[in-house]
Amino acid sequence: MAAAATAAAVVPSSSKTETYTDTKRKDDIRQANISAARAVADAVRTSLGPKGLDKMISSASDNSVIITNDGATILNHLNPLQPAAKMLVDLSKSQDSAAGDGTTTVVVVAGSLLRHCSSLLSSGIHPTVISDALHKTSLKAVDILTAMSVPVELSDRESLIKSASTSLNSKVVSQYSSLLAPLAVDAVLSVVDPQKPDLVDLRDIKIVKKLGGTVDDTEMVKGLVFDKKVSHAAGGPTRVENAKIAVIQFQISPPKTDIEQSIIVSDYSQMDRILKEERNYILGMIKKIKATGCNVLLIQKSILRDAVTDLSLHYLAKAKILVVKDVEREDIEFITKTLNCLPIANIEHFRVEKLGHADLVEEVSLGSGEGKVVKITGIKDMGRTTTVLVRGSNQLVLDEADRSLHDALCVVRCLVNKRFLIAGGGAPEIELSRQLGAWSKVLHGMEGFCVKSFAEALEVIPYTLAENAGLNPIAIVTELRNRHAQGEINAGINVRKGQITNILEENVVQPLLVSTSAIMLATECVRMILKIDDIVTVR
Amino acid sequence: MAVDRILKDDASEEKGERARMASFVGAMAIADLVKTTLGPKGMDKILQSTGRGQSVTVTNDGATILKSLHIDNPAAKVLVDISKVQDDEVGDGTTSVVVLAGELLREAEKLVNSKIHPMTIISGYRMAADAARNALLQKVVDNKEDAEKFRSDLMKIAMTTLSSKILSQDKEHFAKLAVDAVMRLKGSTNLEAIQIIKKPGGSLKDSFLDEGFILDKKIGIGQPKRIEDAKILVANTAMDTDKVKIYGARVRVDSMSKVAEIEAAEKQKMREKVQKIIGHGINCFINRQLIYNFPEELFADAGILAIEHADFDGIERLALVTGGEIASTFDNPESVKLGHCKLIEEIMIGEDKLIHFSGCEMGQACTIVLRGASHHVLDEAERSLHDALCVLSQTVNDSRVLLGGGWPEMIMAKDVDELARKTPGKKSLAIEAFSRALLAIPTIIADNAGLDSAELVAQLRAEHHKEECNAGIDVISGSVGDMAALGISEAFKVKQAVLLSATEAAEMILRVDEIISCAPRRREDRM
Repeated sequence: MAAAATAAAVVPSSSKTETYTDTKRKDDIRQANISAARAVADAVRTSLGPKGLDKMISSASDNSVIITNDGATILNHLNPLQPAAKMLVDLSKSQDSAAGDGTTTVVVVAGSLLRHCSSLLSSGIHPTVISDALHKTSLKAVDILTAMSVPVELSDRESLIKSASTSLNSKVVSQYSSLLAPLAVDAVLSVVDPQKPDLVDLRDIKIVKKLGGTVDDTEMVKGLVFDKKVSHAAGGPTRVENAKIAVIQFQISPPKTDIEQSIIVSDYSQMDRILKEERNYILGMIKKIKATGCNVLLIQKSILRDAVTDLSLHYLAKAKILVVKDVEREDIEFITKTLNCLPIANIEHFRVEKLGHADLVEEVSLGSGEGKVVKITGIKDMGRTTTVLVRGSNQLVLDEADRSLHDALCVVRCLVNKRFLIAGGGAPEIELSRQLGAWSKVLHGMEGFCVKSFAEALEVIPYTLAENAGLNPIAIVTELRNRHAQGEINAGINVRKGQITNILEENVVQPLLVSTSAIMLATECVRMILKIDDIVTVR
Repeated sequence: MAVDRILKDDASEEKGERARMASFVGAMAIADLVKTTLGPKGMDKILQSTGRGQSVTVTNDGATILKSLHIDNPAAKVLVDISKVQDDEVGDGTTSVVVLAGELLREAEKLVNSKIHPMTIISGYRMAADAARNALLQKVVDNKEDAEKFRSDLMKIAMTTLSSKILSQDKEHFAKLAVDAVMRLKGSTNLEAIQIIKKPGGSLKDSFLDEGFILDKKIGIGQPKRIEDAKILVANTAMDTDKVKIYGARVRVDSMSKVAEIEAAEKQKMREKVQKIIGHGINCFINRQLIYNFPEELFADAGILAIEHADFDGIERLALVTGGEIASTFDNPESVKLGHCKLIEEIMIGEDKLIHFSGCEMGQACTIVLRGASHHVLDEAERSLHDALCVLSQTVNDSRVLLGGGWPEMIMAKDVDELARKTPGKKSLAIEAFSRALLAIPTIIADNAGLDSAELVAQLRAEHHKEECNAGIDVISGSVGDMAALGISEAFKVKQAVLLSATEAAEMILRVDEIISCAPRRREDRM
């Protein structure tokens, strides 16, 4: 393929006729890019909206199966080869990182814009003119959307829950939206720092997934949850009240040096002594721990040696100390922040002031069998973090619940960043389309023509929503246009009733940031695809 | 009888007409490839890698495209090289230089076909290039004395450079960023001090210039998140136990307590090292290698901010901007130069936490944080910004400025034409050809914008026949416009470099009359 491309590049083009074929090749490349990108958009189109359907992705490499409705996840697994199609996948990723939700919308909008662009191109308009018009349109569109939006206060919990449930309604777990939406809102609000009210770090919310139960059993825990069992080989405690917790980064096991070492045993009595020494060594450590009043140990995972041995577990159990081992190093920061304690890297540094305090640490068994987690609740001076324990009856549901919850959390975060709400259900898109259409009439030249075409392109969202819900898309979109022309800017598609209603009254709302970032990102991506006139194969 | 073969089996040679033909074709193909990226309405290319990952780059930068091409044609390689040199020397004009060289060769081909000796063409081209350069020299404007005007010149140059790139929509914003950054350098061309950080998310408009230095790392647990008046030790040292670096080294002991003692000794060594480091009187320690849990805790106890695993680039820049030295032994605290800055704090950009050093020793240092929708956008934005920064830093040194939009080419073409009329002999044909090649640049700019190039260039020529004309192609309105009024400027240094290196490259290729491709070296193991 490389050879073919190089050969094509070396063909000289000096005469007039050859220049003609040259431009033809460029058009071909542009059309190829556009159709590849549209194919990607069509792949996710049917998952849009509350009645959108899911996709099953089976991965060839490890035969794993994912069922999802989340645009970003689907595209992430698509792995297209065509460069323009890849750009659309990236587009959905950017929307995921910018707003967290609307990952399907952004790709569908981009696909529709591209379709209209290709008809503009075929009518002989220069790509850069289209690209400039698109840029103007996107700026205007953001203005229109901002004008449509309704401000929201963080204290208005109801509105926040509404927008979170709008996001959840299109997912597999939609029937649990009444449970998950308030949960997402509470989780985000609990980590907002009053000093920096505009910033939410979603890393302060830890999602722990545990198989078993149903999504109904999902709960928010004010404290910490470990998806681990308590290490209690020798009948140690599994429940500690009034806990003094230490996070340690060393191991309670026989000493091991970094330099290679071997103990040479020459007779039986020596062996006896070594065993005794080992016991004393561990006992000494545990005594030091016990002296500070510590009764819960969280031990960081080490690749070099065992965190605990049977022997040390036995002594720890005797000292009534609860042990959780194999805590990942990445989690240490979160844990110390939550417990308001400091990690301890050496037994010599084990001091009372480095401990964290909690009312209760216990191992909770979830249903029967292996399902056990460790919960730490009632933490004194708890940091601004929170944990959500997600349950699900099988791995697929569990994963999808995790993704949906992430989307819902993102939606709430968007509202914290930019405190405006906008109607859902296709209302903003059809209003955009109407106002942009009106605006295009006052523009001059090609620009007006392009803007008009983009205005039409935006109707794809209500059209797809209706189509996915099994309604007659043409009838619905025309009706919707009609209502908006009469000034009902909040009229949208009510998928449940299958008709057009005031969508704000139906509590279908979404954050402004999701809509604006979808429009901005989609246009930016389309402009980039339009400006490409050649694909060069390189090393 | 002629000798059958002089060369080895696999070697081939092409002579005379054929050789020249091959070079012309190769060079022109390359020029045609990048031609469409020229000018504010130039198009982009997708570079699809055949290597692992099939990564995709979208770019408008001539040097980037050419750098990554597979090229077999020797003449084409010459063009790629001049584009690279242009990139290193002045940073911008990488496409123009290739296009101009291509056009010069296209004209030369016609002359060669009409039986003019290549050497005559070369001497004609030389005369023409001299005349063109002098024409530019007469027209340059130098506003170095007037700070206000000089700054506006820089802004114009930056905007002109950026207008052909992805940043064109926000060119004013970025031009300001670039000018501010370059002005901070105070005349040095050391672009190292300007750090560019790319963070996906947000839009291009959210990019900003930050005074100070930003490190994309985390602060250790339990350590202060904010330090005022920081004394920084930048180091590259292993923070785990000092090991004997002899293979198979091991200790033999006969009891468990001895092992414990060794372990304690190891810990003790670490502790001593940390104590030595703390002994430098620092409150911030930055290491290129990992800092393990134990030293991290010791640092936290001493209230020192420790940053681990900063990459090579990171610590070198840090040492540069804070005025410190990279240390790897800590026995002589007095000989180690510490870095200083006023404030270290943790900031958030998008979703990520970064460490911000402000009030650094070296005042020139600054960071440009780029935000954008995707990695493609960010990478291309970085390349564009880099071009602008290069051009600006060159202009700060050589402050002569020209107008843009095809204006310099028209000025040159006019003087070259005049020269052609005065010159007797065949050379004049070559000089005339040179002027035609120069005119090709405005023609291509107009063509790329989808305008009627023949009409526009003819109009421009008529305009330029008047004295003191500022006419150039206004791509936005699609007509001939006043470049001074539109604020389209270019650096003289860029134009001069384009003119001279394109002429030189064309000359070099013209001189060729034989191409010998050497036999590939045989691999020993194939025997």
